[in-house]
Amino acid sequence: MIKKYNVTVNGKSYEVEVEEIKQAGAYTPPVPVPRAAPAVQAAPAKPAAPIAPPPAAVPEGASAVKAPMPGTIMSVKVNAGDTVKRGDDLLILEAMKMENEIKADRDGTVAAVHVTQGASVNTGDTLISIG
Amino acid sequence: MSEKLELLRAIREKIEESGGAKRIAKQHETGKLTARERLLLLFDESSFVEIDAFVKHRCVNFGMETMESPAEGVVTGYGKVNGRLVYAYAQDFTVIGGSLGEMHANKICKVLDLAGKMGAPVVGMNDSGGARIQEGVDALSGYGKIFYRNSIMSGVIPQISVIMGPCAGGAVYSPALTDFIFMVDKTANMFITGPQVIKAVTGEEVSSEALGGAMTHNTVSGVAQFIAPNDQSCISEVRRLLDFLPSNNLEPAPAYETADDMNRVCAELNSIIPPESNKAYDMKDIIKNIADDGEIMEVSTHYALNIITCFMRINGKPVGVIANQPKVMAGCLDINASDKAARFIRTCDCFNIPILNLVDVPGFLPGTSQEHGGIIRHGAKMLYAYCEATVPKITVITRKAYGGAYLAMCSKDLGADIVFAWPSAEIAVMGPEGAANIIFRNDIQNSADPISTRREMIGSYTREFATPYKAAERGFVDDIIEPAHTRLRLIDAFDMLTTKREKLPAKKHGNIPL
Repeated sequence: MIKKYNVTVNGKSYEVEVEEIKQAGAYTPPVPVPRAAPAVQAAPAKPAAPIAPPPAAVPEGASAVKAPMPGTIMSVKVNAGDTVKRGDDLLILEAMKMENEIKADRDGTVAAVHVTQGASVNTGDTLISIG
Repeated sequence: MSEKLELLRAIREKIEESGGAKRIAKQHETGKLTARERLLLLFDESSFVEIDAFVKHRCVNFGMETMESPAEGVVTGYGKVNGRLVYAYAQDFTVIGGSLGEMHANKICKVLDLAGKMGAPVVGMNDSGGARIQEGVDALSGYGKIFYRNSIMSGVIPQISVIMGPCAGGAVYSPALTDFIFMVDKTANMFITGPQVIKAVTGEEVSSEALGGAMTHNTVSGVAQFIAPNDQSCISEVRRLLDFLPSNNLEPAPAYETADDMNRVCAELNSIIPPESNKAYDMKDIIKNIADDGEIMEVSTHYALNIITCFMRINGKPVGVIANQPKVMAGCLDINASDKAARFIRTCDCFNIPILNLVDVPGFLPGTSQEHGGIIRHGAKMLYAYCEATVPKITVITRKAYGGAYLAMCSKDLGADIVFAWPSAEIAVMGPEGAANIIFRNDIQNSADPISTRREMIGSYTREFATPYKAAERGFVDDIIEPAHTRLRLIDAFDMLTTKREKLPAKKHGNIPL
């Protein structure tokens, strides 16, 4: 391919021809091969919705102590009606291979215990409510 | 001349009256000190020197031309804190609500510029209603100039923000760009949009205390690292923090003589780890045992309690400690803990404070909320910060050090200069139960009594691999030490590392996964 240019140097105009030399083995862009449309896969059947645990209703006026991480309840140390002080142990949550003491975050009375020994809980589940 | 002297004295007196007796009384009624009282508390006796007291605003809009603004609503200057030069500014709520206009901002910028040039820390005390609306875009520009200096001086001089009143809207970003934020309980607030705007937009009703009070930012958001019950104790904590920080990035952190024996044996540490590895203990007991005189200064005490970040001194020299807390969430790493640790590591590194890591980590917290919240991205910050830090780094493994979390807590390969392990250390790719289930799956399945075979296999894995010895055989642990000797071994190792020189390759800056 020959290209023509006008080049002006110090007010004098020159006509210049530039030819690109094609060498053997020069790069030629690949021709895109049309791709077969992917076969449409049947959508996997939706698993049945897991049965949600009964919503732990926090009694009115009470505040919830929630699970900080997923785990299993090893033991519950208080009963509804017990008086607790901030920092008292409420229950032991086994998680991350450790027995974690879950403590009361304020003074009050245990309004309800929402879990039983052996129950699996997830982060944010209500464990105990303190009124 | 005497007339001129009289005039000078009269003008200065007027300026020092701030917003007048009535407004000062109101400030005191709400439990707050005035800007000048705060600065006098911050600095050593008779060392505070004010600059720019005569500055006035230049606004002539909306009746501002007749509005007096003594010291332009912000008192600025320098002085000594425990004998060292520190710059400071304190917004004066009694003068037009401490609102920030063009000249108010210029005063703050002047102090930041001086601090940068002289290489000395800056303390900014915030107590302001926000932008001075009458000044329009000039006020906005003022904030921008402050943000710019906060960012450019970041990592050069320590910058400490103290929130002692309202701090709302754009104003919050100056503190957010600095190294530490203190907040005074009940009187300090920080938010981008206040309760009224939130109510108008979303209908949500929230008090300013619940939205952006000191406790909220210390516990929920992690925006602030310190909380104090009143102005006086807040300022004394600021002074205490300054004692751990160098004046700038080219100086070592200040060392003080200590009466605590450098060869003190901490006998209690030999029995602090419970025999069962699923029982918790308080990591703070270990830190206090090692520290000079048992004194530590915690940073972010109320946020991400599963990791402890604190300053302490050993043999008189400041050290930054990052430690897992087995007592809270088993000491696992999660999003908030990673963020907290990464930030602290970088703070120590830019101010030449050596790092000590105390490791008892079961792993990263599993769960969709963590994965979807970006634990990969947040955990990466911690790894990045450790790798990049060139200050002396020592790691002590007290108990669990499993998998990716073992690496993340500054293992040898992440650049720890020295790694010590206690004999109770369990350094392995995962916990014995999980590992036995995988490695010995066939043995267990083919066994006549799978339950007892499994128990046997867990036992043999625990004895073989849940120990510090495999890691020490490979040199990933430099020495296995008696817990009681931790303090003296650390003092010796940090002393050995004093002359550490490590250069990162030349680059504009790294690309930390923010």
